[in-house]
Amino acid sequence: MQTLQQFRRYPMEAILVIIFLLLSINAPGFFTVDNQLNVLRNITMQGIIAFGMTMVIISGEIDLSVGSGIALSGCITAWVTRELIVITGPVIAISVGAVAAMAALFFIGVATGKLRQHFNMPTFITTLGLLTVLSGVANLITDGFPITSFPYEFNFIGSGSVLGIPVPVYIFASVFSAIYFLMNYTSFGRAIYAVGGNLEAARLSGIDVWKTKTLALGITGILTAIAGILIASQILSGSSGAGRGWELDVISAVIIGGTSLFGGKGTMRGTLIGVLFLGIIVNGMTLMNVSEYWQYVVRGMLIICAVLLNHSLSKQTSH
Amino acid sequence: MSAEVELKSITKIYGSVVALDHFSHTFKAGKIHALMGKNGCGKSTLVKLMSGVIQPNEGSILINGKETNFHSPSDAFAANVVTVHQELSLVRELSVTENVYLGRLPEKNILGVSYINWTLAHQQTKALLSKMGLDIDPDTEVSSLSVGQQQTIEIAKAMSFNPSLLLLDEPTSALASKEVEMLFTLLRNLKEQGVTMMYISHRMSELAEIADTVTVLRDGKLIGCVEMAESSNDEIISMMFGDVAHATRPARTLSAEKLPILEVRNLSSANRFKDISFDLHHGEILGIAGMLGAGRSELMRAIFGADQFDSGEITFEGIKLEEFNPRSMTAMGIGFTSENRKEEGLVQAHSIHDNLTMASLRKNSPYGIVSRATESTAVAKQFADLHIKAGNAEDPVSSLSGGNQQKVVIGNWLNISPKIMFFDEPSRGVDVRAKEQIFKIIWQQSERGLSSIFVSSELEELLHVCDRILVMKQGIMVGELDPTQTTLTELYSACMEGF
Repeated sequence: MQTLQQFRRYPMEAILVIIFLLLSINAPGFFTVDNQLNVLRNITMQGIIAFGMTMVIISGEIDLSVGSGIALSGCITAWVTRELIVITGPVIAISVGAVAAMAALFFIGVATGKLRQHFNMPTFITTLGLLTVLSGVANLITDGFPITSFPYEFNFIGSGSVLGIPVPVYIFASVFSAIYFLMNYTSFGRAIYAVGGNLEAARLSGIDVWKTKTLALGITGILTAIAGILIASQILSGSSGAGRGWELDVISAVIIGGTSLFGGKGTMRGTLIGVLFLGIIVNGMTLMNVSEYWQYVVRGMLIICAVLLNHSLSKQTSH
Repeated sequence: MSAEVELKSITKIYGSVVALDHFSHTFKAGKIHALMGKNGCGKSTLVKLMSGVIQPNEGSILINGKETNFHSPSDAFAANVVTVHQELSLVRELSVTENVYLGRLPEKNILGVSYINWTLAHQQTKALLSKMGLDIDPDTEVSSLSVGQQQTIEIAKAMSFNPSLLLLDEPTSALASKEVEMLFTLLRNLKEQGVTMMYISHRMSELAEIADTVTVLRDGKLIGCVEMAESSNDEIISMMFGDVAHATRPARTLSAEKLPILEVRNLSSANRFKDISFDLHHGEILGIAGMLGAGRSELMRAIFGADQFDSGEITFEGIKLEEFNPRSMTAMGIGFTSENRKEEGLVQAHSIHDNLTMASLRKNSPYGIVSRATESTAVAKQFADLHIKAGNAEDPVSSLSGGNQQKVVIGNWLNISPKIMFFDEPSRGVDVRAKEQIFKIIWQQSERGLSSIFVSSELEELLHVCDRILVMKQGIMVGELDPTQTTLTELYSACMEGF
């Protein structure tokens, strides 16, 4: 009985453990240190964005443009590096490029928020448009070919390891901690929950609802840029094709983690579980030689089942 | 097609509340019968029973001597009993024709396939409208019509059912006076055609113009039925309220010096209120009375900055305000509890703790980091002071009763240590005990120096709670009353007829 209650409280955690055990037994090479580090390395990029996306979705908005944002930030960084590297040397050139990419995506997020505030433009529409716009801009910057301006040492950020653990995992862990703190211990985080839960009640309680939503979108822009720079480092180039279609994976992870698309409800821990969940499933299926087409079917079904499970469980507890 | 309605000992019970108590009465055929009574007297319940929305626990309804048994609104339609509800129920994006024949558009059959017969539909609608003396193109989209025209379409829709009994629940509450005239011409027309009507309204002057009889209800019982032509307003009002014993008011010691904390001057907002000026004094509870639609809530929302206004000045503690939004008001120590607790007061899915600390979030977050300890102390204090009945502060606020939810809304504001509070219908949907507790909280806070503005549709409450009452009528401030020197009847007629 007690285990059943525990299961009800942490359903996704329980299923994650079960799947982990099943894969350890059935998937050759799954339960090895190397493979687990590989899983971690693979989930970091989408995970970093998913933490921002959780904030945006809890605040009652959405950002569909992150896939193209990844490409754009990598291309901006590569382009700035190419232009500056002979003048300033690689470290300053890449740093300036990275800051420019983060600033650009921050302002795009803020602009999305302002459109929502002043023209009542749903973020679903704005960011759907931006998904195409940003991809186009990335292609304009690169002229369709990857910019290979980075020195080889830059690869360390995306592919290197410190103390046996991949560098991106440290960044992933830092971002998680920071956003976790933001959401649970600051007035900004509490305001995000309030505006997503009931916009009018929050507004009448003196909360600056638009600043809250806009900032959540801006922060997600910065996190998208960070993920884009990490990928650029891994592939050692700025490519307009990087991150294509990732927006749906990111949103899937957030939903699997129990965040409500209607806003007001969700946790960072849930998203962390959702990200791990997707990463392990994909890795396990690949090791088991499941065809890529079947992987799509399974991943899609997972989202549906996760939401179904969360709904039926929350109904039971509310009775 | 006239109908005589006989109600025999109708009783309707909701939980522990008796909404109608052995109500018996006969409504004569072919007349317009006004139903009157204060809020919660049972008149809406009566309309719902007649239209098949709810069923009585006891008793029977006879139409032309035949016993009816309405299990659903469609049963009522079948018996030619049609209701026009207070809120418009039209689909704004559809045409007049589609709205009138919603779900039952005439069809034609060509080669075994059914099509909508638009020609016939428009013709029928046109005929219906012209019979009512209306010149509206049946192909017009409803959203392009004025509210008054929409109301007439609503009645046209009702007429398309060929009613022998028409129930009208506050049909004029959204209409301008010219549109009311139009509606009345229409109703007189229908009366000539022999339709029996039951008409609910709070506007007494209108009733004198349109109704033949007035039936008064109080606490679910029939108090009496008089011929409109032979009765006076005072007579009807005293029937509505009965012999009211003055409710006990606490002995209030207000300082003789009347220092204004809030001065409102010439505040206007198009279509909502016009040229409003008043002062709110230190520590007083100022009531604003008025009928539904008088502009009370609109005025408070505008002063709090929740809605914009067009012109006017507001001075707080001697300083003229420049910025009007809930955020700056909250920062200055002004709070507002909305009349819609569920939609605008609380985040239902969140905990009691989170709801109690929403307005004080900035205050309790030095450097942006929430001090959970400060918050918990404040939450515990409100639990004790306001007698909030809840298991745990982390339980969702939706698990609380209406009264306790309202206390959470008030507690949320008391946590900013406000100087001024606007209470908009704080007793709505709250049981009697919790009501009294909420009033006690307002009195206690007033003793500690809080100045409040109190809005309520329940006039007894205003007399019971307030130190001074302002009366609004159709967006204009018409006068001021001293509750200790005013009877309920006087206040009621002031709200309806002005001074």
